[in-house]
Amino acid sequence: MMHAKGWLLAGCLLLLLPGPVFSAGEEAPTIPRETVCLQCHGGMEGRLGAPVGLWKQSIHRQNGISCHDCHGGDPTDFAMAMSPERGFRGAPEKAEIPAFCGRCHIGVKDDYLASKHGRALGKGGPQCVTCHGNHAVVKASPDLINDKDCTRCHSFERAARIKAALTDTDRIISGLERDLADLRRLGIAVKKMRGEVFAKRNEFHRLFHTVDVNKVHQGTAAVQKSLGEVATEVAGIRSDLSQRKLWGGIAIVLLLVAGGLCLLLRRTYHDEEGKG
Amino acid sequence: MLKRAVDWLDVRLGVRELWQENTSGYLVPRNINAWYSLGTVLLALFGLQFLTGILLLIHYVPDTEKAFGSVETIVNAVPYGWLIRNLHAVGSNLIVVVLLLHMLSVLFMGSYKRPRELTWLSGFILFNLGLGLCLTGYLLPWSQLSFWATTVATDAAGAVPVIGPKLVEFLRGAPSVGAPTLGRFFALHVVVLPGALMGLVGFHLFCVRRCGISVPPFGKDAKPARVGTVFDHEKHPGGIPFFPNYTAEEAAMVCFALAVLVAVTFFAPQIFIPLDALEPANPFVTPEHIKPEWYFLWAYQTLKIFPSKLIGLAAQGALMTFLALLPFIDRGEERRPAKRPLFVTCYVLGLLLLIGISIWGRYS
Repeated sequence: MMHAKGWLLAGCLLLLLPGPVFSAGEEAPTIPRETVCLQCHGGMEGRLGAPVGLWKQSIHRQNGISCHDCHGGDPTDFAMAMSPERGFRGAPEKAEIPAFCGRCHIGVKDDYLASKHGRALGKGGPQCVTCHGNHAVVKASPDLINDKDCTRCHSFERAARIKAALTDTDRIISGLERDLADLRRLGIAVKKMRGEVFAKRNEFHRLFHTVDVNKVHQGTAAVQKSLGEVATEVAGIRSDLSQRKLWGGIAIVLLLVAGGLCLLLRRTYHDEEGKG
Repeated sequence: MLKRAVDWLDVRLGVRELWQENTSGYLVPRNINAWYSLGTVLLALFGLQFLTGILLLIHYVPDTEKAFGSVETIVNAVPYGWLIRNLHAVGSNLIVVVLLLHMLSVLFMGSYKRPRELTWLSGFILFNLGLGLCLTGYLLPWSQLSFWATTVATDAAGAVPVIGPKLVEFLRGAPSVGAPTLGRFFALHVVVLPGALMGLVGFHLFCVRRCGISVPPFGKDAKPARVGTVFDHEKHPGGIPFFPNYTAEEAAMVCFALAVLVAVTFFAPQIFIPLDALEPANPFVTPEHIKPEWYFLWAYQTLKIFPSKLIGLAAQGALMTFLALLPFIDRGEERRPAKRPLFVTCYVLGLLLLIGISIWGRYS
């Protein structure tokens, strides 16, 4: 009898196992559909084919930004894909790059143009692709400020101070984003908090193009203060969740004890049945 | 006071005799095993679904504009709303697991055989009603998962020749899933199906009690499945009292099932609440991978295996009809699994096939 109960319990647990296999899933990135640009250039070699491979590793691809979003043209028509009539604008000259990227990254363009880097545009100063790459565009992060890249033009000393000020805030934002994603997975309403973090992250990213160390310090302090409020709210929710788990654990133990007692009672009856 | 009330009832309805006849006077086979307690586990789980369902109804709004928000409010703002909602969602999955185990144990022990044809048939319909409750309840939160899973599920009816398109429109109340679909699924989920379920559970229990509990087909006590020319309640002289002897075992199984339910509800509710269930329905954005719940994966994959949906539907219909009518098809008297090698082989292979097709459906 006890053997049968063991099998029954094991069976219940075993059948529960397919649950995560069948139901759980990770958030898939938004992959752009196969356009005629990719079909044609994907098969080419050298200078004309290389951008496709580079773009495939980029943050643009992860976010669903494809060739035509930057270069224009018609991604559905082989014949007219590169026609100016369909808005094709090709590749920009170096000095035109900030305006080219700034069509989407408006705030960043303004910050860049106001900075020392931006004021040196056309005079040997860097523009967007100098640091971010062109087709293999990487996600904006303090890692882009590094000894190897910055020392191509100047010493790393000031850049290192700016990077130190940015890294801490970047870590806080990344941590909060992970926490909010975890809470969302549990069905907790995090839309408002996510909105606040998103706004602060944008505010923070605008500091990336400033080369004024004091301004960066002031900006990151203000951002960290606002993020602190979100972090307090997240900590409160996490504390509630821990309490829930504690009560859940107690309920499970009580149910198992009750089940065990019932089985002991059954065994007592079983012994009596034997005597009878 | 209580004794006086019982005395009053006893004089008029003979409740003491009725209680005695159905508890300590009701003898069940001495070698009865834990698998026989799954019916009681199901009763407890269905009871909990009714209770949590009624509590959810207080705050749920069956309107396409408000349904998702109302569920979010239940989970985030209503005191213990998260617990009620998660118990309801996880409980529905656990019910399907226990329903399957109950049916598999009945099949293995040959308890579906005569004279218990009606017990099996009513149980089989109850299983389908349970799946119907899962399907209709799935749409109510009006999430991306709800919307697209219902779109795919109702779309399958379109394969029926001639009336297919009309049937799809009838199920949805409109050419596509929308407010009329939510309205009719809501009515089905909270009134029609629970009502039918309660009535049929009553009939199922009546059949169980009237026929008497079957003896497990193991050891020297095994009996063949026979029916005479007149009604004969299967008695078990020398058996054990249903109450309190066997109910103690049933209570243990209910506690263990509830422990599993609480464990998943408190520690891993996301197992049964995928990411797409946390996004409001958007008819203009199709999620990348729409998969039905795990218990419908076999049906989903069957439709894909066959060259046409109609053949797939016909195969499903044939299988379900075969299972429903099994006691009328399998008329042999033998119930001992060891003496039924053909049945046991088909049973194991069928089960493996079902699991295999489900896994295939998940990854296809």
